[in-house]
Amino acid sequence: MIECKNLVLGYNKAISEPFSLNLPNNQWFGIIGENGCGKSTFMKTILGNIKPISGSIRVLDKAPGNSNDSIAYIPQEREINTSEYTSGLTLIELSYNGWHCGIPFLNTATRKKALDILELVGATKYMYQPFSTLSGGQKKRIYLAQALINRPKLLLLDEPLADLDPEAKQHFIETLNKIHKQHDLTLLIISHDMHQIAMDLDGYIHIKDSQVHYCQELPCIREGVYVGI
Amino acid sequence: MWEYDFMQNAILSGIIVSTICGIVSVFVVLRRSAFAAHALSHMSLTGAAMAMLLGFSAILGQLGVNLIAALAMGFLGDKVKKNDLAIGVVLTFVLGLGAYFLFLFQNNYSGGVLNILFGNILTVSKAQIYLLIALSIGILFILSICARPLLFASIDPTLAEAKNLPTRFLSIIFFSILAITVSMACQIVGALLIFVLLIIPGAIAGLWCDGFYKSILVSVLIANISVFISLCVAYQFNLPISFCITTLMSFLYAISYIKNLVFKS
Repeated sequence: MIECKNLVLGYNKAISEPFSLNLPNNQWFGIIGENGCGKSTFMKTILGNIKPISGSIRVLDKAPGNSNDSIAYIPQEREINTSEYTSGLTLIELSYNGWHCGIPFLNTATRKKALDILELVGATKYMYQPFSTLSGGQKKRIYLAQALINRPKLLLLDEPLADLDPEAKQHFIETLNKIHKQHDLTLLIISHDMHQIAMDLDGYIHIKDSQVHYCQELPCIREGVYVGI
Repeated sequence: MWEYDFMQNAILSGIIVSTICGIVSVFVVLRRSAFAAHALSHMSLTGAAMAMLLGFSAILGQLGVNLIAALAMGFLGDKVKKNDLAIGVVLTFVLGLGAYFLFLFQNNYSGGVLNILFGNILTVSKAQIYLLIALSIGILFILSICARPLLFASIDPTLAEAKNLPTRFLSIIFFSILAITVSMACQIVGALLIFVLLIIPGAIAGLWCDGFYKSILVSVLIANISVFISLCVAYQFNLPISFCITTLMSFLYAISYIKNLVFKS
């Protein structure tokens, strides 16, 4: 799924020591570390938005940036420019193939996929409601539906639980868990609320002092007990 | 009134320009690019002054300067929110150049400049109509290739960047389309009143409907109907056409805005 060999992360300057990882399919991984340690940089490297300083990375057996339809991403900060009436459904349909050339041609198959995904994430009730009037939790569900409409194999989530109240967080985690179990989907999540999802995770990538480590349980991070993968 | 050549030319050019403006207006509103439309319209004054100084047609000068400015604006700011600063910098420089060209051309420019500032649809010639048709085909061709990624990058720029879309290149494409549209619309409503065709149709559409095609359809219809009615009213009552278009469109926007307030409450 994700293979890193002697990978060094960074924009123009290295922010990590070389590390190697091999993350298998259909598992759920958390990325943890202090603010500014390079968690989002790692995700952007997987997406192909940032080239690594050195080493190699393969995602779904391809170089990063060549699997647009199979990798979904929910960014930490989002700028959405909608008109007064743009609904969540319109946003989801647009994200089906918005990066392909041509005109925004929509058909009944796209609409059906969007409706199925909206049902899966539990956002059918407010799919026609203007996006700008939705609550933070409802918007997050629309983002999740956007990410899932292409049935990706890898889902990257950057701080998806931030700004959500405890109830909305719980709902969001339950939805993620359901999707993870029902579909062949690998999840990679950055969160400062790891204790809330610790039960569901298969492993952690811990970034500290420019070192990138892998461990299987949350307490191991506190004790510094790492394993290779 | 339609037996006169100048009225036939006026309605034909009005339909062409308002159709293109109706389409582009939806993108202008989504990308919050009102300032870019405003800046390009002011810069077209520099292009027209330069063209007149060199003995060319004003629209060619406007096209040339606007396209160069569009490239600079798109290149300097690829993200939607970052664009304002880039536009401000380019606008200041080009307007300064405009002041210099008008200084060089100070003997006999007042009539030409007034036409550029306020437009005069009744003076559009057959040759200008052919040029407007060619430019419209060019814009529609570009949009047929990149409307989908442009729409995606306009609505959801963060995700577009994550999907490795060339957002800077799309920004340059958008500004180029806007530059051509501004040069076209200047013939109808002039540089000072360009907002009326480039912002209000899209803004009204945004207050009435959801979805890309519905918005485009409503926007194009509003622009076309407004230009047609304004042309008829201006002819019958001997009024400036720009005044009729701006008054009618502002009125339509006010109605839509009030409808929206009442509907929401």
